[in-house]
Amino acid sequence: MKIFFKEIKEPIETAMIGNYAVAGGITQTDPDVICAFPITPQTQSVEGLSDVVNQGRLIAAFVNVESELAAISYATAACASGARTFTATASQGYLLMTEGLPMPVGWRLPLTMLISARAFNAPNLSIWNQWEYTQVNAELGWNIFVSENVQETYDAAILSTMIAEDTLFPTIFVHDGFIISHSVQKLTLIPDETVLRMTPKKPRHIIDTAKPGTWGGIVTPNYFMEGRANLENAKKPVLGQMQAAFDRFKSETGRQYNLIETYNLDNSSKTAFCTMGSMSGNIISWMTKNKDVGLIKLRAYRPFPVEELRKIVEEHNIEKLILLEKSDALNGLLPPFAMSIASALYPLGTIFRSFIVGLGGRDVTREEFTVTKKKMELVNDMKGPLYSYLGVRETKQKIEGVDQ
Amino acid sequence: MLTKEELQNTLKDNCINLRFHARGGQGGVTASNLCVEAFHGFGVCQPKFGAERMGSPTESYVRLSLNDDLVRNNEQVYAPHVVSVLDPSLLGEIDVAAGLAPGGWLIVNTTIDQVSLQEVIGRNDINIATIDALNIAMEILGRNITNTIILGAILRVMPMFTVDALKDAVMARFKGSLAGKNIEAIKRAYDDTCIYETLDAPKLDFSKDTKIPWQQISLGLPGYKELDKAGVWYCDETVIEMGSKLVNTGSWGEWDMIWDKETCTDCAQCWFICPDFAILREKNDDGLWHMVGIDQGHCKSCQNCLETCPVKAITKQLKQGPASCAAPQ
Repeated sequence: MKIFFKEIKEPIETAMIGNYAVAGGITQTDPDVICAFPITPQTQSVEGLSDVVNQGRLIAAFVNVESELAAISYATAACASGARTFTATASQGYLLMTEGLPMPVGWRLPLTMLISARAFNAPNLSIWNQWEYTQVNAELGWNIFVSENVQETYDAAILSTMIAEDTLFPTIFVHDGFIISHSVQKLTLIPDETVLRMTPKKPRHIIDTAKPGTWGGIVTPNYFMEGRANLENAKKPVLGQMQAAFDRFKSETGRQYNLIETYNLDNSSKTAFCTMGSMSGNIISWMTKNKDVGLIKLRAYRPFPVEELRKIVEEHNIEKLILLEKSDALNGLLPPFAMSIASALYPLGTIFRSFIVGLGGRDVTREEFTVTKKKMELVNDMKGPLYSYLGVRETKQKIEGVDQ
Repeated sequence: MLTKEELQNTLKDNCINLRFHARGGQGGVTASNLCVEAFHGFGVCQPKFGAERMGSPTESYVRLSLNDDLVRNNEQVYAPHVVSVLDPSLLGEIDVAAGLAPGGWLIVNTTIDQVSLQEVIGRNDINIATIDALNIAMEILGRNITNTIILGAILRVMPMFTVDALKDAVMARFKGSLAGKNIEAIKRAYDDTCIYETLDAPKLDFSKDTKIPWQQISLGLPGYKELDKAGVWYCDETVIEMGSKLVNTGSWGEWDMIWDKETCTDCAQCWFICPDFAILREKNDDGLWHMVGIDQGHCKSCQNCLETCPVKAITKQLKQGPASCAAPQ
C-alpha cells in the first residue's frame, strides 16, 4: 500500500495483491466518504483505504460502522448528499446489505462497491471463492462487472467510478475472493493526473437545502409503476455508456476492455467456453495447448449485454457453448449465470450445457476443461439435463460424471 | 543444472513453478513476492488460500514465465519445480516434496546432511540443496528471519533472475540498513549453498505436466452420498474426522508452558479459558477433577492460562529446537 502514500506521477509497474490494488485505485479517484464493514476476503481493501486516510494522502471521511446494513445505509445517504462514496463487501455481508440495496438504484446514486466473491454459508461455513453475486440481488438494478486479474480489478476500481457517474446507477465491481484478492500479480499503475482527468466530479442531483424535496416518500399505486418504468428506461443506454467509459479508458491508458471479450472463436470445433472472472485466465492458459476451442469472457454481467452476445455467437457461427460457473441455484431450471445466457440466446437456439465448478473455493484446473470439452463433443441437442456439478466426489473413490 | 540462458529459453513457452514452505510469520509470502518483483517477465504469487495463523505451517506459490498467457492461470501450484523449506521443523510435520517434479530441486534451511535428508524425504529422483540460513541470519541480520536468504540459495540452483535483480527488489521493499543487510545475507547464501545433485535423477522437463489428475478433488474424503443430512459432523460418527485433536497445534508456538503441581489449587480457570483443550484433568477417587498436566502436542502457547492463573502455577519457557523459529526477537 505504501506506493499509494505519495502522488503517482508516471505509470509504474509494480506487484501487489488484488485488494490493495483496489484500495489504491479508489484512493486515486479521490472519494469523499469510505464506509465499509470488513469481511474476509474483502478486508484488506478497506484496511488499505484506512491507511491512506490515516497517512493524510487521502482527505476523506473514513466511517466505521457496526454492520453491512449500516454501511450501505450510510453510504447511500452520503452519496445522496453529493459525496463520492465507496463501500465493499462479500458473501454474508452482501446478504445483510440486501435491505439497503434497492434504494441507491431508485435514487440514481453513483455509489461504487467492491465485491470480493465468496460463498454463502450453507450447509457449512466457507470463506472461499464462489460467485455469490449471481445468486442474489443481481436483479435490483445495480451495474455489475467482473474482473479477471489484479490489473483488471485495479482498473475496475477507476472504471466503476466513471461508469457509476456516467450512468447515475450504483456500480458493483467484482473480483474472485482469494484467487485475485490475495494473489500478488504485476500491474501498471495509472498516474494520479490521468485518473483525475478520467473521473471529474460532475454536478448531479443531490439532497440540497436550496432545493428541498422528499426523497423516497410513500406513493400510492397511482405513481409507483411509472417510477419503475422510469428506471427501466434509464437503464437502456447503460451498456453503451459502459463501453464509452471503456473506450475513454483506452485512449488514456492504452488498455482495452469490452463488455464481452473473445478468444480464438474461429476454431475448428465451433465450440466455445463461456465464463467470467479469474477462471477465464485458467482457460486462456489451457488454450495455449488446446487450440480447437474458443472462449467468451463476459465482463459486464448487469445489465446483461444481450445484443453483443448474440452478435458474437452469430458472427462466429458458434454452435455449442460450454458454460462454466461457480454458482448453483437448487432450482431445477439452471444455475444463475446459465439462466442469463440461456435467456439471451433463446432466439438463436445455441446448444449449451452448464457445468457447476469451483464452489466454496474448490480449485478449477485443466481437468475440468478437458472433460467438459470432451463431454460437449457428444452433445448435439438440448435434450436431457442441462446442468451438472463437475469436480465433486460422489463417494470416497468416485468423481461424479468422470471416468477415472 | 540449467544455465541462465537455457532457463530463459525454456521459460519462453513454459512456466516455472515454485513452492515455499514456512510457518506463519516467517515471511514465506514475502519471499515469493520478491520472486515476482525481481523476475523480468510475467509472474504471479499466491498464498495457499485460507487463513494463516502465526506459527502454523503455510505454503505459498510462485509461477513465472516469459509467456503472458501461461501466467494468467490462476490454479494453485500442484507440481512445483522448486520447493523451498524455510523452517527445518516442517520436515517432520508435512510432506514437503509432495508433487515435486522429477529432477526438481528441494532447498532446505538446515544443517542436516544430504543422506539423512534424502531418507526423511524418501525420494531419489529429486536434487537437494541445503543452506544453513539460521546461522547466516543470526550473524548478519541479528534475528532469525530466513526468507531472503533462501532466495539466494534458490538462485544458485535455478538462475531465474540475477542476484542484482533481486537486490533491486529488496531495495524497493526494505528501508535503509535493513535492505543492505538482507542483500549481504543473500550474497552469502548464494556462495554458501551446498548442492547435492542426485546421480540418477532425471533431467527436469518443464514441458511435462506432472500434476496428478483430479488432485484438487481430494479423493478418499467422503463423497456427497456419504455425508450426513444437513452436513452435520456428529461427534460419535466417523464420517468426517473432526476436532482440533487432529491438528498438531503444539508445533505452532514459541513457548513451553510449565505447570507447577505444588502451587496449583485446581481452580480450573485455565481449563475454561484454554481454546485447544490442552489442560489435562483426571477424576480422582474423591470424585473431584484434578489437573494433571498440559498437552504440549496441542498447546500453541497463546498464554491465556498463564494470564488467568490466580496463583501463578503456570510459567513459560522458550521452546528449544527448530520450532522456536517463529519466536520474535
